[in-house]
Amino acid sequence: MMRFGNIIIISFLLLLFILTSAFGEQVVAIRAGHILTISDNPIENGIVLIKNGKIEALGRNVVLPEDVRLIDANDKFVMPGLIDAQSQLFVMDSELNESRTIAPELNILDAIDPFIKEYREVLAQGVTAVCVAPGSRGLIGGRSAVLKLNGSKNIDRMVLKADATVKAAVGVSANNESASLTRLGHYSAIREALIATKVYMQRKEKADREMAEYNRKKAEYEKKDSGTAAEKKEKPKRPARFRSSPSSDVLAQVLSKEIPLQVEAHRVTDILNVLRLADEFGFNLILDKCTEGYLVADEIARRKIPVIVGPVSTSFVDMPRLEYRNHSMSNAAILSQKGVKAALGVSGRDGASSKFITLAAAMAAANGMDINAALRAITLTPAEMFGVADRIGSLQAGKDADVVIMNRHPLDARTQVEMVMIGGRVVFERKSQQ
Amino acid sequence: MKKTILLSVLILVSLPCYMVRAADAPQNLAIRAGRIWTVTDGVIEDGVIIIKNGKIQTVRKKPDIPAEIEVLDFSDKDVIPGLIDAHCHLGLSLDIFGEIDETVSAVTPDMQIIDAFSPLADGVKRALSSGVTTVLLAPGNKNPIAGQTAVVKLYGQKAKDRVLKRTAGVKFSLRDEALMSDRRPTSRSGLLALIREELGNAKAYQDDKPDLRMKVLKSVVDANFPVYISAYTVDEITSALTLVDEYDLNAVLVGAEQGDEIAGLIAERNIPVIYSPLLLFSRDKDLKRVVRLAENGVKVAFSSSAPETALSDLRTSSITAVKYGLDKETALKSLTINAAEILGVSKRIGSIRRGKDADLVILNGDPLQPTSTVEMVIINGNIVYQRQKI
Repeated sequence: MMRFGNIIIISFLLLLFILTSAFGEQVVAIRAGHILTISDNPIENGIVLIKNGKIEALGRNVVLPEDVRLIDANDKFVMPGLIDAQSQLFVMDSELNESRTIAPELNILDAIDPFIKEYREVLAQGVTAVCVAPGSRGLIGGRSAVLKLNGSKNIDRMVLKADATVKAAVGVSANNESASLTRLGHYSAIREALIATKVYMQRKEKADREMAEYNRKKAEYEKKDSGTAAEKKEKPKRPARFRSSPSSDVLAQVLSKEIPLQVEAHRVTDILNVLRLADEFGFNLILDKCTEGYLVADEIARRKIPVIVGPVSTSFVDMPRLEYRNHSMSNAAILSQKGVKAALGVSGRDGASSKFITLAAAMAAANGMDINAALRAITLTPAEMFGVADRIGSLQAGKDADVVIMNRHPLDARTQVEMVMIGGRVVFERKSQQ
Repeated sequence: MKKTILLSVLILVSLPCYMVRAADAPQNLAIRAGRIWTVTDGVIEDGVIIIKNGKIQTVRKKPDIPAEIEVLDFSDKDVIPGLIDAHCHLGLSLDIFGEIDETVSAVTPDMQIIDAFSPLADGVKRALSSGVTTVLLAPGNKNPIAGQTAVVKLYGQKAKDRVLKRTAGVKFSLRDEALMSDRRPTSRSGLLALIREELGNAKAYQDDKPDLRMKVLKSVVDANFPVYISAYTVDEITSALTLVDEYDLNAVLVGAEQGDEIAGLIAERNIPVIYSPLLLFSRDKDLKRVVRLAENGVKVAFSSSAPETALSDLRTSSITAVKYGLDKETALKSLTINAAEILGVSKRIGSIRRGKDADLVILNGDPLQPTSTVEMVIINGNIVYQRQKI
């Protein structure tokens, strides 16, 4: 009987919780000293008004409703939640890789562990969304996803966008051995898969056409049911069933530009190879890591290919790797100065690394990247790349209220995050005594 | 045969020429700086440093600059002493995966690490560009008694300019890596027993028959020759303290990741710590450890252990420590004067002061901000690195 009582109490508390979270404190206003909107100019001494989890309005002259809950951040910086475009958060190390395979049908969402505790530390540094992608050992490793750090243990609620990209990798040495021939193999294996997909798409289109034709004829035939016996002989023959393949279906989405292909490439040769692939097949390419990109920045800029640069410093990598031999801390700066759209990722060894995204941006700025470009590279730029800029990435009316309040400029070494909101809900608040 | 000899002689002769980028003789220079972080004598705003014969001659607010001296104008920039990486393996192996330990025997105190140092190695240039001018070279952690460390500058043609200490102490390792299945020691207590046995033998050793190993270890137990003890966990550090007490060793702890747990015991023995690199995937509680260690009165220096880890940027460790609560003054000291004192070279380097070597780093902002970068590095008055405009 005791247990029954407990259940009632728990359900009552749950109900109370749901009610308060659904109906309580719907309207929140942040009065801020500096609002870094990212999409527009910064606003000094303004207000961010949040309603039903979305940004309702922002600016210097926002009229406050009567029952508004006011958050005072008069001497503080307010900016959109940060995004790590190269995160491993929520994913166990071993689940990032399926060795040397063409496996676009794999989905990183199947390897997500929402119970990982490190996410709290990442959230406490202002990161509200991460893009998690399969690792670099698979040639085509599978599909990535954009997740929110909203504390939900239900993966469906964490997902902002599934199938954000299909991740591929060329020229990444599995065991740090220099292997030029293997790299040629990577390139041709991916090319072969794309050619096969083209054929698959044509076959599928033909099959669809035949099926439509059959359906039309069948309907005609059945209409003629009352017709003569001679006509009846022409009963249409059902075409052979088309066997669809999950793997080719995903690559077909890449070739029809529904999903971008995110290709990790480090060295100049590999980067150029990938650019040739994009030229040949015309998919939407996102270059990932792009360690030596600064050496061929013009080639990348000319094709308007976006790049996720990371790691900004080899400090983020725990072991030396051959791919980073010509690593330059100025990579992001040079690419963005040449007009390449560059996002920054931490690309750390571990999920917890994502908490250093502002350090990565600061280092890029130290090495010549414009400070505003560096801030954009950890907010709006990745949001645009992953097709979620209508929801996150900047402080704009209508977007999700994913907001970070900091006590100093985000790139200062001593900056402390005071508060983090996701969808208008406070998910982190700094203890005052710390 | 003769040809090959001739060729190798040619190569050997031309090699040092290839190394030299700056002028051969140290230049006389004056540096006008927005801020001079002297480390030991505060910050001087709008000051000038005059360098003569590779040494710092004057550091002052408005000195008279002799007419014949070239003036470098950095009046909107910051100048700090050259950074010191207090424990690394730079330039010690042919490639980044090469071996730095002599693992055939577990006890190799006679091995001098400087014999393996190549100033042309890849990592050296990288370290220079991040503002590191002096390093402690050390063997790895695979031998309980590993070999002798050295303090060298990353530039200098003549040995007397480059090498501050050919031998700076003996490296001990109490870490798991020192245990191997195919030779002694294979267990933790075996490791301590082996070190005790060697130190005991050294105590009893008379100079009657020449034994290089014993000679080195005798200087450890009898003549206060420093030992650099690599220990990370609480139990490894406790073992290190036990050895220090038993043999009255002049010790420096290397690594000491969990040292904060017994910071009091380390502080009361006045043992300094060369802290392991702050890895950028560690948990928050681990990143705060070095802060607690310093707050409890332990003298701390930073290290990169490069190239074992890819942490070529020593400054990143201190910036991260600042982020996790270390005060900026201690952080800067840890990169400079603390390290110089721990390595026993503070008479020559570690702060900007009259008479010290002209090892300077010029940055475009606060040295402990991640948004600042190194613009120029000077060693012994030579400009050895200059940032390229992009």
